[in-house]
Amino acid sequence: MHHAIINLNHPAHYIGLGPFSISLGNLLIILAMCIVFLAALFIPFPHSDKEGEDQK
Amino acid sequence: MSPKLMVDPSKKWSGPTRPYDLVKEIVVAFVAVALLAGGLAFLFSSPDDPAVTLKSWALTNSADFAVTATGELAGTTTSAGYGAPYNTAAKGQHFGFIKLQDWAGVRIPIDPANDFVVKPLLMMNDSAASSAVAEWSSANADQQSTWATAYADALSKAEGKDSVADPSGTFGPVPQMVASLLTMAKSGALDGALITSDTPLPTDFTKSLLFLGDSEGYFADLASKQHLSGDQWGVMNETGSWPGQSWLWLFSFWYQIDPFKSSDNADTIVMLLMGVLTLGLMLLPFIPLLRRIPYAIPVHRLIWRDWYRKQDK
Repeated sequence: MHHAIINLNHPAHYIGLGPFSISLGNLLIILAMCIVFLAALFIPFPHSDKEGEDQK
Repeated sequence: MSPKLMVDPSKKWSGPTRPYDLVKEIVVAFVAVALLAGGLAFLFSSPDDPAVTLKSWALTNSADFAVTATGELAGTTTSAGYGAPYNTAAKGQHFGFIKLQDWAGVRIPIDPANDFVVKPLLMMNDSAASSAVAEWSSANADQQSTWATAYADALSKAEGKDSVADPSGTFGPVPQMVASLLTMAKSGALDGALITSDTPLPTDFTKSLLFLGDSEGYFADLASKQHLSGDQWGVMNETGSWPGQSWLWLFSFWYQIDPFKSSDNADTIVMLLMGVLTLGLMLLPFIPLLRRIPYAIPVHRLIWRDWYRKQDK
């Protein structure tokens, strides 16, 4: 059986905020999705001199 | 919206164009996602929790197993009173005239007393179990219910024990049947009996999962420890420290609040609500007021800022 380099087969760490409780794994994934969304908004489209030029 | 940004879809586009290599984008996206998935799998592998079986249940919490098995005989478990698709014991969940569970009908007929207890015991080569089953089968339904209910009451009073003595014969053959089933489960034979009862290959876990799900001790405790029960956003969690299905947060959210939380029809109502919200998202361009959202929050202008900058000049 392959043993993972980073072992996640142990009880999760939960972060509580009032009535809400979220596992660290889920929180990290949600933050990663937010970062990808913001990156998609703000990182400019790649342009090359040839490709990116608008043509009339 | 300024008039110069209006586009008549019936006219040929006369604005600027640029070459676009779709195949290149697909290849780049595929390679990037493949490398990401392969890399993460190499780093983290996958959830590797040991399987929950009837054997592990019987060995870990034999008292809970005995209570649940007796409940199956008494017809008081969740499975016994579930309704469609397993039986006709209940009408099932509904919302107004919408009765999805009832409309679907009994597609997987299961009689918990017979399927989880009686039939597996008949597979045992054990004379005590066979004679107990024979006595059970020859009794009428009222007598069976009286025996099983009395034994269930006795077990609940004898907290933590998997059997109760019956010097006066009040419980009929039930204690012997439950004790034999417990022996069968501890050996692992009950797992095999239930998952191969309808198919030649061990691929159908319906019966063993329903039986396990009727456990209010062992199985419920396992779920609770892993934050997988319904009142703990269980649908979006995963075993161990793995991230779960966090995109299901909106489904899970409704189950946390009233009136959904306390409703017997929560699954149907939440499913219908999510259906309505999904339709709303799909039909957003046709819904007055809501379709004005992009004008109030012009995220698209941020993405296509180069284009709009040129247009505004």
